[in-house]
Amino acid sequence: MKSLSFYIHNLYQNQQWLDFILYLGLGLILTLSLMSVVALVLVYAERKIAAHFQCRLGPMRVGWHGTLQTVADALKLLLKEDLIPKAADRFLFALAPFLTVMAALLSLSVLPFSLSATLSNMNIGLLFLSAISGYGVLGILIGGWASNNKWSLLGAMRAGAQLISYELSMTLSLLSIVVLSGSLNLNEIIASQAQGWWIWRAHLVGFISFVIYIISSTAETNRTPFDMAEGESELTAGFHTEYSGMRFAFFFLSEYVNLFIVSAIGSILFLGGWMPLHIGEWESFNALMDFVPGPIWFLLKTGALIFLSMWFRWTFPRLRVDQLMRFEWKFLLPLGLINLFLSSIIALGGFYFFP
Amino acid sequence: MNQESNMSANSKTDQSASALAQVPIENAKRWPDLNYFNKIIYGASSLAKGMKITFGYLINTKTVVTQQYPENRETLILADRVRANLIMKHNENGYHDCTSCHICEGVCPNASIHVVDRSEPTVSKKELGYFVWRLDSCTFCNLCVMACPFSCLEMTGQFESSTYDQSLLVYNLNQYSGATQNNLAKLADDQARTSAIKAISPYEGPVALEGYHLAGIPKEFLPQKSDAKTSQAREGVNP
Ligand code: SF4
Ligand code: SF4
Repeated sequence: MKSLSFYIHNLYQNQQWLDFILYLGLGLILTLSLMSVVALVLVYAERKIAAHFQCRLGPMRVGWHGTLQTVADALKLLLKEDLIPKAADRFLFALAPFLTVMAALLSLSVLPFSLSATLSNMNIGLLFLSAISGYGVLGILIGGWASNNKWSLLGAMRAGAQLISYELSMTLSLLSIVVLSGSLNLNEIIASQAQGWWIWRAHLVGFISFVIYIISSTAETNRTPFDMAEGESELTAGFHTEYSGMRFAFFFLSEYVNLFIVSAIGSILFLGGWMPLHIGEWESFNALMDFVPGPIWFLLKTGALIFLSMWFRWTFPRLRVDQLMRFEWKFLLPLGLINLFLSSIIALGGFYFFP
Repeated sequence: MNQESNMSANSKTDQSASALAQVPIENAKRWPDLNYFNKIIYGASSLAKGMKITFGYLINTKTVVTQQYPENRETLILADRVRANLIMKHNENGYHDCTSCHICEGVCPNASIHVVDRSEPTVSKKELGYFVWRLDSCTFCNLCVMACPFSCLEMTGQFESSTYDQSLLVYNLNQYSGATQNNLAKLADDQARTSAIKAISPYEGPVALEGYHLAGIPKEFLPQKSDAKTSQAREGVNP
């Protein structure tokens, strides 16, 4: 007892610790609220955009033009009965959704929303992000395994296979930007784009990496045309077939937060993150662009990429599993390798535009 | 065997087949015989084409086909092909064409139609008494409409047919018991026509489950002659 009070007293004396705990708590609350807001907004946006792509109206009843629909859905999911199949592995079954949400939470914490609004400005931010995105599939794998259902297991295995494959070309495309900007710190990568965004500054190389990144990130988030893990037409609902209520909501939430995260990474690496749009010598135009705050730029660019992803989802036909693998190993990966080679040449020779 | 039946089906639908032949069919585009790189370009361009189309749908709100049903109840637009309710056509004077030939009754796969001849025909040898239709077991296959040699029946889009009582879904489609409009036209005047037919209500006659009583039919639709026991039962269920 004595030692405990002593410990607390020590903590109190040592203000750094208190600050750290306060910072941690505040960061956690902020990230969690950001996560739920992002998921709510994105689910609504997806439903509306999907509807209009398909000549429908989408949610119209709850709130003005259905704006409160996702809130109502979230409430419904919270109140629903939470079933666990009899033959499921109870512990792993309960653990899986939290793992996926945790992965989303961890990735959100390193995203730089502006120069100052970064929860954790890591010097290996990009490495951390790619590591965490690999860890996110663990939740899917465990969930599929623990459900004790062949559809779930098949979906989970597909998700694993897909992630292992597409992680490669995604990392290659990220690497070429790392080579060009010479840093793994997200803020420094953004700062290196002050003269122009990597998507066009590095000749064709930046654009090709961007295309590779968009394709592989769509696969990474398990969205149509690469939704092998869910595969509604053949696997019922894939890895989350047996999930319901709150746990299903967690999977759903992390799916949309992951969409936000991959689009955010795309906008940071290729579109300059919070960096305003500058065009060459147009001083007044540049000044006007500077007037818009960084987070707005960041969210705008991220939003554009999210829209692109939704556009893909509601336009493209799905791939078969073997086509998916062939596309990755026979097309994307060689292209990524060549692209990395070219980007090294460009970085070494300094052949950028706007040097 | 299969082929044969297909062929006979073809010969039956000759008319529609020739109509189809008049539609110009663009040469079906197959996956062209291309090398690796051209295949990539071809695939990418076709994806871009698809994206262009969906983007057109997105920005052009006129393409939305959704109708918000309860709100737009007055302005609801339904396609002609909607099959939601069977009616018997009656002309402007309220006369139908049904000769009580029972073909529709025989053709119905669900026995949803029960045609009852009029017990005492006045004009022709055989007259329609009650045309009982069971909405609750009808699958809206349209066979009865197509089979009727006199085109008496019609499918309409009137889909608001829910009730609180299943027995209300069994009713007469004809508005009177009596002869067809052609046979009635041979009569001298309107008065003769009116006396030759007998107006009936939708829930009159051997309606509910083909004569068996079902509770819950509103009193005003009840047939006049009913024994005390059943009418008591009706009152008990439907105040
Ligand atoms: S539509 Fe089909 S099921 Fe309905 S009454 Fe006519 S024949 Fe019978
Ligand atoms: S509706 Fe047509 S097919 Fe049916 S009994 Fe009358 S005339 Fe015959």
